[in-house]
Amino acid sequence: MTDKRKNQIAGAAGGLASGLFGGGGGMILLPLLVKWRKLEGRKSFATCVAVILPMCCVSAAVYLWQAQPAWGTLWPYLAGGAAGGVLGGMTFEKVPVRILKIIFGLFLLYGGVRYLLW
Amino acid sequence: MVEWVVPFLAALATGALSSWGVGGGTLLLVCMTLFLGVEHREAQAINLLFFLPTAGISLFFHRKNGFLDRETWRDAAPLGTAAALAGALASMAVDVSLLRKPFGLFLLYGGASMLLGAIKRGDRR
Repeated sequence: MTDKRKNQIAGAAGGLASGLFGGGGGMILLPLLVKWRKLEGRKSFATCVAVILPMCCVSAAVYLWQAQPAWGTLWPYLAGGAAGGVLGGMTFEKVPVRILKIIFGLFLLYGGVRYLLW
Repeated sequence: MVEWVVPFLAALATGALSSWGVGGGTLLLVCMTLFLGVEHREAQAINLLFFLPTAGISLFFHRKNGFLDRETWRDAAPLGTAAALAGALASMAVDVSLLRKPFGLFLLYGGASMLLGAIKRGDRR
């Protein structure tokens, strides 16, 4: 299979998850870019963010059509997210991602169990 | 404690995680629905909006540092965006409670693969 086709399939799988669940497209897209497409480490993380961005734009438009969060609820998340983006971008090359992934993986397992029992 | 502080700090931490490609958006979605009392559909909308400034700002740095693979982006983004639109419309067409269990399985898959990948092979960073 060509790299182009792999990219398209990876993008479609990530996009579907992102739209269906309102997030999480990167959890599908990133492993596909790394393991299947064999994209280099840092490049795969950054490219994943870039591919997810337009997916989030269209999904957000559809979700907003259904549920409009109050501005008072929304702004701390937007401001915090923007500040986190600056922090993350400036420290991208210095972060021990492996340890973060272990902590994050455990938290996701916990969340998954909670959702299944909900 | 002012009521916006906890959401702001949660978004700050998960925003940084998002720009490192660790999946902060999913983490924020779980935090909002399980701990911060945000209704699921509203949390999904907030999560998607949250990602826009976070991604935009971190992409500025990634592009500056030469980490973007334009060819991959050109191939993956158009079909991915169309699939996201289809997924979001499908999500709107069903009751939100029907998506809880599939989302739980999705989290278990994401958590297990991330954990196993980090423990077995280590990370490139």
